[in-house]
Amino acid sequence: MPDIDALKAEAKRILDEGVVEMVIGFRAGDTPLHPQPAFFKTAEEVDALVYDPLCQNNLAAYLTRFPKTQKIGMLVRGCENRSVNALVFEGRHPREALYLIGVPCEGIIDWRRIVENTGEEVISVVEQSGGAILVESKAGSFTFEKSALLHESCSRCIHPNPLSADVVIGEARPEGDPALARKEVVDFAALPMEERNAWFRQEAERCIRCYACREACPMCYCEECFVDHISPRWTESGATPAGMQGWHIVRAFHQTGRCTSCGACERACPMDIKMTYLTEKLNEDMRQKYSFEAGMDAVTPPPFSTITLDDKSRFVI
Amino acid sequence: MTETPRIVLFQCQWCLFSPADQDWVDHQLPKNILLVKVPCTGRINPLYILNAVQGGADGVMVSGCLPEQCHFKTGNIGARRQLEAFADYLHHIGYERDRVRFLWLDLQDRGIIQKELAAFEAQIEPLGPAKNLAAREFETAGGANA
Repeated sequence: MPDIDALKAEAKRILDEGVVEMVIGFRAGDTPLHPQPAFFKTAEEVDALVYDPLCQNNLAAYLTRFPKTQKIGMLVRGCENRSVNALVFEGRHPREALYLIGVPCEGIIDWRRIVENTGEEVISVVEQSGGAILVESKAGSFTFEKSALLHESCSRCIHPNPLSADVVIGEARPEGDPALARKEVVDFAALPMEERNAWFRQEAERCIRCYACREACPMCYCEECFVDHISPRWTESGATPAGMQGWHIVRAFHQTGRCTSCGACERACPMDIKMTYLTEKLNEDMRQKYSFEAGMDAVTPPPFSTITLDDKSRFVI
Repeated sequence: MTETPRIVLFQCQWCLFSPADQDWVDHQLPKNILLVKVPCTGRINPLYILNAVQGGADGVMVSGCLPEQCHFKTGNIGARRQLEAFADYLHHIGYERDRVRFLWLDLQDRGIIQKELAAFEAQIEPLGPAKNLAAREFETAGGANA
């Protein structure tokens, strides 16, 4: 865990010195399980800053909601930093108007896994040194291993460290294992076609179309989404099985070469629908074909925004 | 349901050099093939492919100009990256990879489109009808083919 006092001190410093006009971070939410994104405009407000493993939003999603001229400070973990890089490449905010306070990430806890065991009425969640999570709820007190509670995207994270932060607070973490990150999608691809399709349909058709995944994703910033477009209607978009499938197919495909595998879409989903088996497949494709990983820097163009004559492909000549 | 596979053909309007080929594509396409003429393969949004797939197509063929012979210089190269990734992605969730075929036509090669369509039909015939992602009935008439 990074030193919360050091985080606050840095946030206060940049606000006081006028480096930024606003710092995006987290504050305590209604329950201990849900810290909320917060926007601090003065040094006094920063006292409310919290940072713990339950901070599950990808803060980069808020970057595109402010004018490009506004100087923004932001708490970034590994995935958020890469999302910021990708957004900077896409011209959504100039890097000069950003001040990134980097935090090497130890992974985000899936609050659902806590609630499964302790019931909804959680009073406090405390992380102890050594990786134990102490949860106090009305049903009693519980101790969990942190590794057992980690969100799936976080347990297979490759780059937990911020790559281009202006200042890093906390000790750097070891890089993750790419083979582990690949495992989910490789296992899924090894299933027979019918099983894959059945799984996809089952997941997609549970969707209630609240678009929480779209709101949570830093890369989904279009003014008008293809799915909201009525005329011309780009694809099946009604509240039918085909519409649900279409939405899931295209939402993920629009992240090709831009997704940083933060898993914010899955964490935001109220129906607990799995989505990363789609985006991870596309990420894996980009890794294999173009050796590209999204957001590793802010200058390399993603595969779909550049072209070359020497791609290996299955186009027939 | 017909026995022959239903195919959607996305055809670049610049690469059918001979008038005979053009005429065949415009007027004599078999009924199981739905023609969508596009100004360049680079104009094909992957959503068009998805629409065809959800519309009940058993196969999708995209045919455009050779690399470096694109009427708009690089449209087909840009299309290649997107469409290929999209086809692999569809394979991931249940639409066989063999059902999507990309073709680069040589401007000089006459009659090639008929041969390629026949070969494609033979390729997808053993796979049977595509049911996994289909949502609508296949439209046999409409658009330029009507």
